[in-house]
Amino acid sequence: MDWGVVYEYRELLYRGVLNTILLTTVATVCGTIMGLFIGLGKMSKNPVLRVPASIYVEVFRGTPMFVQILLIHFSLIPAIWRTFFPDADIPTALFSGFVALSLNAAAYIAEIFRAGIQSVDPGQMEAARSLGMTRGMAMRIIIIPQAFLRMLPALGNEFIALLKDSSLLAVIATEELGYFAFSVAKNTFEKLPPYLTAAAIYLVLTLFLSRVVVRGLEKRYTPK
Amino acid sequence: MKIGKKWATSLMLVAGLSLVLAGCGGGSQPAQGGQASTGSQAAAGGGAEKVYQVGTDAAYPPFEKMEADKITGFDIEVIQAVADAAGIKIEVKNTGWDPLFEGIGSGAVDIGISAITITDERKEKFDFSEPYFEAHQLILLPEDSTVTKLADLQGKKIGVQSATTGETVVKKAFGDTYEGIKGYDDTPSAVDDFFNGRVEAVVADNAVLQDYAKKITDKKYKLVKDDSFEVENYGIMVKKGNAELLGKINEGLKTIKDNGKLKEIHAKYFGE
Repeated sequence: MDWGVVYEYRELLYRGVLNTILLTTVATVCGTIMGLFIGLGKMSKNPVLRVPASIYVEVFRGTPMFVQILLIHFSLIPAIWRTFFPDADIPTALFSGFVALSLNAAAYIAEIFRAGIQSVDPGQMEAARSLGMTRGMAMRIIIIPQAFLRMLPALGNEFIALLKDSSLLAVIATEELGYFAFSVAKNTFEKLPPYLTAAAIYLVLTLFLSRVVVRGLEKRYTPK
Repeated sequence: MKIGKKWATSLMLVAGLSLVLAGCGGGSQPAQGGQASTGSQAAAGGGAEKVYQVGTDAAYPPFEKMEADKITGFDIEVIQAVADAAGIKIEVKNTGWDPLFEGIGSGAVDIGISAITITDERKEKFDFSEPYFEAHQLILLPEDSTVTKLADLQGKKIGVQSATTGETVVKKAFGDTYEGIKGYDDTPSAVDDFFNGRVEAVVADNAVLQDYAKKITDKKYKLVKDDSFEVENYGIMVKKGNAELLGKINEGLKTIKDNGKLKEIHAKYFGE
């Protein structure tokens, strides 16, 4: 066993860690925003909003992320670019990674939002409406802040899953942490050092997410 | 309503459990079978003839690929001819690239044939037969490219199949952690991303690139040979120190080289 290969490939490791963090951050932000709207869409009484939102969630939740990544990278994005931006370059694997992770996260986060919002007593909405608030206002000011606190543990889980699942992007040669591990393992025949290094870094990153980010948010949003 | 839900839940639990059990039952059988056929006892016993497990990564046409549920290709015909000539029985399995090396190391796979270039690094961990195919790397480029050799690609994105000789030559030229190397799981993926414009060139084996490019008639490209690329020899791989099996393979290989069978298979796949 030769741990020297990790040092030898350290530049790949640095870039990998940076891209993993970048991918997770972008997908978390985009996924949360999209997930909020899709979740609201699923609860809408209007079938024009509700049906597409439901289909979206079922499709992205019901198919493997691995397949989604391959489809998005090799088929969907090239097809969209050839049709709508024929003069522009087709974006890189990193972009495919942002898209795949965000779209996938949005489906799960939509369900988390829906569950969170539905967990708030309907009496709260009635009370807000009786005070003269519109539905949207009541949602924004009364329901979502309460629901958000209840969603945080589930959201934390989702962000951690997202961070780990970003390693699947290695298959399309996105230079993230998983790619580092696979590439070094394949090229040097050393398995344990690169895989263990990657696993340890993933663990540090997920611990940071759960202990610092999610816990911090919980503290921040708990009413005093 | 409540009872109905309970029933549904228990039904699902039972269904799930039986699936798990079925999975376990099914799983243990091939595992046992595998052990029996790879154990050296079977061969030494003399009763049942040993069936050698041949591993390949069947995603590398024209050398090996899955055709419906069958593994076909140049390598597969070669190893079958070798086995016939040497009088041994084989069973070809699609193991994938990395597990193939693992499997040979652990003894789960006896023979590896997967367009494997004989390199000094690999020779340290495995034993190889005499060469059965000569290959060299080619660079896949846009038709109007001015690139004439690998060195011209400095600073550009180059697609390769991870851990193949293509990646090795690019790394040798630009460094182990060169940012432009995109290591794909398979060569067709790298070629796809080349035609999608995500990489500016692909470096891979001549036969694979030529075969794949033949199928793409609607796109413009060219193949460039860099004379600094060394000629590579493909060999059949066995576990380090397995001289008995290696001897049989070399003997079979010699037979099909002498009687023209290898040439015949070569012509079928690559022309003259």
